[in-house]
Amino acid sequence: MATIKVYRYDPEEGTEAHYDAWDLDVKPGQTVLDLLHEIHYYRDPTLAFRRSCRSAICGSCAMNINGRTGLSCNTQAKPLLDRDGSLVVEPMKNMPVLKDLVADMDGFWQAVYHIEPYLKPGAQPPKGPYVVPKARMDLLKIAQDCIMCGSCLSECTSREANPAYLGPAALAKAYRFVADARDADTVARLQMYSEPNGIWDCDTCLYCNEVCPIGVKPMDAIMYMREKSIEAGIPSQGAKHALAFYETVIESGKLNEFKTANKSLGLAGMASQGGIVAKVLLRGKTPDVRKRPIKGIEEVRKLEQLVERKRRKGASK
Amino acid sequence: MQKHDVLVIGGGLAGAHAARAAHLEGADVAIVSKLSPLRSHSVAAAGGINAALGEGDTWEGHAFDTIKGSDYLADQDSVEILTREAPNTIVQMDHLGTPFSRDEQGKLFNRPFGGMRQARAYFAGDRTGLALMQTAWEQLVKEGVTLYEEWAATSLIVENGRFAGLVAYKIADGTLEEFHGKAAVICTGPGGQMYLKSTNAVTCTGDGLAMAFRAGCALKDMEFVQFHPTSLHGPNILITEAARGEGGIMRNAKGERFMEKYSPTMLDLAPRDIVSRSIQTEANEGRAYPGGYVDLDLTHLGRDRIKERLPEVYQFSTEFAGVDPGEKPIPIEPAQHYIMGGIATNNAGATNVPGIYAAGECACVSLHGANRLGGNALLECIVFGRIAGTAAAAFAKKGTQIAGGAQVLEQEDRRVEWLLKTGGPETVEGLRQELKRLMWDKVGIYRNEADMTLAVNGVRELRRRYANLRVGARGKKFNFSLLEAMELRNLIDLSEPIASGALARQESRGAHARTDFPTRDDAGWLKHTLAWWRGDRIELTYEPVRITQWQPQERKY
Repeated sequence: MATIKVYRYDPEEGTEAHYDAWDLDVKPGQTVLDLLHEIHYYRDPTLAFRRSCRSAICGSCAMNINGRTGLSCNTQAKPLLDRDGSLVVEPMKNMPVLKDLVADMDGFWQAVYHIEPYLKPGAQPPKGPYVVPKARMDLLKIAQDCIMCGSCLSECTSREANPAYLGPAALAKAYRFVADARDADTVARLQMYSEPNGIWDCDTCLYCNEVCPIGVKPMDAIMYMREKSIEAGIPSQGAKHALAFYETVIESGKLNEFKTANKSLGLAGMASQGGIVAKVLLRGKTPDVRKRPIKGIEEVRKLEQLVERKRRKGASK
Repeated sequence: MQKHDVLVIGGGLAGAHAARAAHLEGADVAIVSKLSPLRSHSVAAAGGINAALGEGDTWEGHAFDTIKGSDYLADQDSVEILTREAPNTIVQMDHLGTPFSRDEQGKLFNRPFGGMRQARAYFAGDRTGLALMQTAWEQLVKEGVTLYEEWAATSLIVENGRFAGLVAYKIADGTLEEFHGKAAVICTGPGGQMYLKSTNAVTCTGDGLAMAFRAGCALKDMEFVQFHPTSLHGPNILITEAARGEGGIMRNAKGERFMEKYSPTMLDLAPRDIVSRSIQTEANEGRAYPGGYVDLDLTHLGRDRIKERLPEVYQFSTEFAGVDPGEKPIPIEPAQHYIMGGIATNNAGATNVPGIYAAGECACVSLHGANRLGGNALLECIVFGRIAGTAAAAFAKKGTQIAGGAQVLEQEDRRVEWLLKTGGPETVEGLRQELKRLMWDKVGIYRNEADMTLAVNGVRELRRRYANLRVGARGKKFNFSLLEAMELRNLIDLSEPIASGALARQESRGAHARTDFPTRDDAGWLKHTLAWWRGDRIELTYEPVRITQWQPQERKY
């Protein structure tokens, strides 16, 4: 016997959200969805959750299971119980709860719509299929299987801090078109995605890559688009910040916070960050604005040359 | 009340293409779908989509394989449309963005599939349905087609024999609403949840089929139910035919490659009806593992190739069976997978009720006859979704909105009210499990008169008991128990034409295999079954098969 705790919220009852618990006999091979079905069918038919395919392909049943978002249909219950000693099922995070485990995914979809999620081909497609070598088509692999379940958005720390951030699934979808040789709108896309709340707002926590139930790598996709937009010379605060970071490290062998902030935000921008500056000063974390080059700066510069050479070689390929 | 020219019910692959086609014709289109479109079961189709696009391949070759696969029950002029349109369909989907798998030089890959003499299944890894569905959905977003998602249509409105609209139930808050339209395209997909073992999603409850049936549309060839040979033993999750297309081999518990016995030429890639029966025979004769499963061995391909070409098989096998297919064979057993029958349509997707069209798995043109070949279903959804959508838009353009429907809304309102307060002894899940067991045991892979008589009577008894239902949840918002009660009614209403049609058909053809009539009987039964809803009973009539250039022959592989 194991106890399953499930988050409950019913807007019609007007009561506070709470947890209900059931004691179930959990057999090996049973998934979390199997247990929810058992509760819904035989214990409490009011328990609400979305589900459909039971085979990790429709994306309906993402939820938070023992503190980590994933699909209930492909999450085995027994190993989790053995590991954690308990099972707690909650709705996805970063989305309002509509009822029990049903999350409001409207914000998720709005972000996906925003990135213009459809191919924009060139003027004249070929007579037959496009000729795109496997190696080029394989670029899509880190994103093309996205099932739009919302797990990544649920765990996204940048979205948590900034609800306007487009989030990993939408940006993985964006990448899918940026990386597609058949799409003719790459630069305009990169410009759009470089705007605030886009690719430069990811704080690279990696949770999206980690929780994706189907192996999509949204963060890799975002990093790829950052590189491409720097290569394309698309101006953005994010790109400026990355370049400033790079320049100050090459200059002195370590980060110069003052210069970096100045280069990426400008003086006016820095003034707007006055609150943060004041806090930093109060905590005694004043950076050294003079920053002499570190010992062994030559080594850093050698590394830079090496990277540069490699990059040029890659670009000429 | 909502109003649109064309109402597409269901947002899967067929629905999305029907909606897009009608929209491009200039009609005001809306999709009414129980699920968000990307949650549709089309995404679960794995292995491929067929087209005679390879060098030396012809549409006639594709058509012949399809017709032979159908055990000569498919309508040959319809198959001609499907197979002629196929190559261009692949090209169009590629142009719209489907990431088909390619070779080093950039040409599209294809692979062999069951019952096809030539490799002509095109694919995107082993998530081809997902890839095609994404492309279709992307186009809906681009075109700005109106979408009512998580709205379950419950009833069609037919006035004076013509389509006038529908009533739908909004899952989020329990609202029932009338939708007026000049034409409808029903694209609600599969309805296999009346079978105990099924690869279908839990939501595949044949809602559109049942709705159309009750509204006066004929259902065609419902007795032909496909059992897929390779579902994962236990959870019955689909292991794609592509696993055998890539070289997978089945073996029984004694380690024998049993398909050598049943299909000496095509072996593991014989059509699905034959392979499923072979597995069932092995189990019946004691050569399967306890529990009735056999092995699907991919180990000789190596883990890397499996991960490259069959990533989903790899995932399913490790996550759901705890088996690494690079090291050990996958335990598989047959499970219900597809219904060849459906809402009877002509080659334009039109049903016998003016204004009602249907496409995809819920429709029966007939393209698959008595047995569908793998890779033809995704193709059907796109080709006939488009055809039906275009035809519905043309119908709407010259048609007028038929008034009426208030009494249907009232009747649906009363039904929901009843479901919310009825307090009988029968639970939704109790009845559903009985139905699933009954259909699996009595109208399964092998059939006979005594079993099927029990099934027909059993289904009728379940319908009577439905009146004593109790729905455990009384709320308005996301009341999935209420939705399941409505779905159960649809499953019961569909089970009877399956069982009655099967009982009446005294022969074995394709997926309909009778132990008491073990051979095909072209003189008596080379004809389609039509089932008609007559309120308290079902009437069966028959119509001839359209044969153009392929005369029926003995079907051997």
